[in-house]
Amino acid sequence: MDQILNVLVIGLLLGGIYGLVSIGLNLIFGVIRIINFAQGELVMFGMYGCYWAHVQMGLSPYVSVFIVAPLVGLLGVVIQRVVLQPLQSEPSMQIFATFGLLMMFQNIMLALTGGEAFSVGGSLGTEVISLGDTKVSMVRLITLLATTLITVGLHFFLKRTMLGKAIRAVTQDKRAARVMGIAVERIFLLTFGIGAALAGLAGALLTPIYSITPGIGGNFIMAAFAVVVLGGLGSVWGAYLGGLIVGVVEAFAGFYIDPVLKSAVWFLIFLVVLVVRPAGLLGQVGAEEVGFREQH
Amino acid sequence: MKKSTALAGIALASVVSLVSTANAQTIKIGAINPYSGPLALYGTEVTRGYEIAVDQLNASGGLLGKKVELIRGDATNPQQGIATVEQLVTREKVDLLLGTYVSGISMTASDAAMRYNKLYWETNAVFQTLTERGLPNFIRSGPDGNVFAVTSSKVVRDLIAPALKKDIKDVKVWLESEDSVYGTGVAKAQKQLLTEMGAQVVGVGAHSWKSIDLNDTVLRAKQANPDILIQTGYVPDGNLMLRTIREQGWKPSAILFVGTGDTPETLEAVGASYLEGVLVVGYPRNDIKDSYGPGNKAYLAAYQAKYKKDPIAPQGMAAFSGAQILFESIKAAGSVDPDKVRAAAQKLDKPEGTYASGFGAKFDDKMQNTRASFTASQWQSGAMVTVYPKEAVLPNVTLKPLGRP
Repeated sequence: MDQILNVLVIGLLLGGIYGLVSIGLNLIFGVIRIINFAQGELVMFGMYGCYWAHVQMGLSPYVSVFIVAPLVGLLGVVIQRVVLQPLQSEPSMQIFATFGLLMMFQNIMLALTGGEAFSVGGSLGTEVISLGDTKVSMVRLITLLATTLITVGLHFFLKRTMLGKAIRAVTQDKRAARVMGIAVERIFLLTFGIGAALAGLAGALLTPIYSITPGIGGNFIMAAFAVVVLGGLGSVWGAYLGGLIVGVVEAFAGFYIDPVLKSAVWFLIFLVVLVVRPAGLLGQVGAEEVGFREQH
Repeated sequence: MKKSTALAGIALASVVSLVSTANAQTIKIGAINPYSGPLALYGTEVTRGYEIAVDQLNASGGLLGKKVELIRGDATNPQQGIATVEQLVTREKVDLLLGTYVSGISMTASDAAMRYNKLYWETNAVFQTLTERGLPNFIRSGPDGNVFAVTSSKVVRDLIAPALKKDIKDVKVWLESEDSVYGTGVAKAQKQLLTEMGAQVVGVGAHSWKSIDLNDTVLRAKQANPDILIQTGYVPDGNLMLRTIREQGWKPSAILFVGTGDTPETLEAVGASYLEGVLVVGYPRNDIKDSYGPGNKAYLAAYQAKYKKDPIAPQGMAAFSGAQILFESIKAAGSVDPDKVRAAAQKLDKPEGTYASGFGAKFDDKMQNTRASFTASQWQSGAMVTVYPKEAVLPNVTLKPLGRP
């Protein structure tokens, strides 16, 4: 019982990680209606990019993120333009396409690195705030803070700026938006770019925590889907809350029941949400069918 | 004799002599390993051991009067193993097969080799069933998975308990492993052996090696308050576990890793100062006494000369020694025929400490080499130093404190 606070903190911090990885995924799905299976691989690129910057130029990931995240964002724009836009009329093909990208990206990194695990050790990865039995890892705290800031920032961006309103318009009704003079294709490019940049950012913040392997993206993607489904398709706050909930549930299940059952927890959440409230917590009822969510 | 018959006869004779000359020149060995994909690093390392052994063999006259040629066959998964064997046998015309870093690939590849009645000599894969299934063409020179459990239990009894100044009966152990057949199999064997020795196994835990978070695993282990944490898994989970243990401020009296945790991948992840004192059970390294592993330094020198860098992992030297045992068996058999080699190998009786990796050669009736062991090393100042068994340890080596800094 004395571990409750510690497990709660662990769960919240883990939720920050999940939220960060899922936010970009959710944004892309909400606006472009594509499930980007390669989202985990974009995170992976962010990690390798920061590792490379660390080894070659001695930069901390918290510095190189400002270069790496935009670069991954640029890759996202290229993916949308070159791979997904031509497949616009065939949504199921788009899913296969992102899956193909997943495999291509994983194998490119495999070929380049031989599969050896890389790590950015460093002292930043070790700082811990100790409150008795409860340990708060600094890098995870920073990740949670970043996730919170990004969620708030995205919320205001979508609500208050012209560009954000344009994105919401496209989300609500693509054709009407086009009639109103919004360049829908450009919005899609921008959205995928932002979603990819968020993945790159996630990679940068996660670099001090994990050993990087070509397949590491796959480790996050299942949890990310559970988060997106739970939070509500297309809802930015949904991804944030969903992340926290999944993180806390996982932490408690892992500690009090058995760590082996953790991935079962994700699937259980999937099932329960899809049966009870398919739109997710903050998704508009019916959104899972129509595939859009009104931001408020 | 008619002219056409004579011509045909000469043509036939020259073709036959050409073919048999070609056959007479070399013995071809197919080396099956993953050379691409996530395990390419280790697959290549294992084959480098073979290549060094082949170089030395050819320099000293070859095998059965012929040169040996090693032909690589890439297999990254069990299905590909079958295809690769077929290609090596039918197109490259290899005489026998040598492998394998991955147990799953060895299973299918050796089966495929059986269909062509080719010998499959296993140097590295540890899965028990490989020898237990009784495939007639399969011989394993390296240790099997059970030896991981045996060695780690002995390390607890003979090295860690004395260092902690505790009787084995008072030693508390938490067994952690990755959750596939490999990890859980080793953990099960460890539990049995340690319990037989009288140690207290306070808990057994399993986790996915792809886990994003191991806080629950570490907290559960910490709660049971063991003296020793034993972890059997892969690199990503091992690294994450060490980081998590550090974060949670847990300081077990000793940490023992089995199978992985002995490469720069782990050093880079947690740094030399935190890694100090951690023990790893694995394949014998190049810093063992020459009386334990004759020629282990020579292997290191040969590797550095040929590949211009240090060995990546100790699996290569086990492969090297395994290849040498193979060559001896073929020499004794006078043939590459699987049955003849099997019979010859069964007669081998070389004591432990015959080969560079410290192996001997004595095969049981399942053709498992019973004289192949692992060693234990300790991280000291950022380097892996062999500390067990006593016979392998260099004179100037001491055991550093096992606890967390």
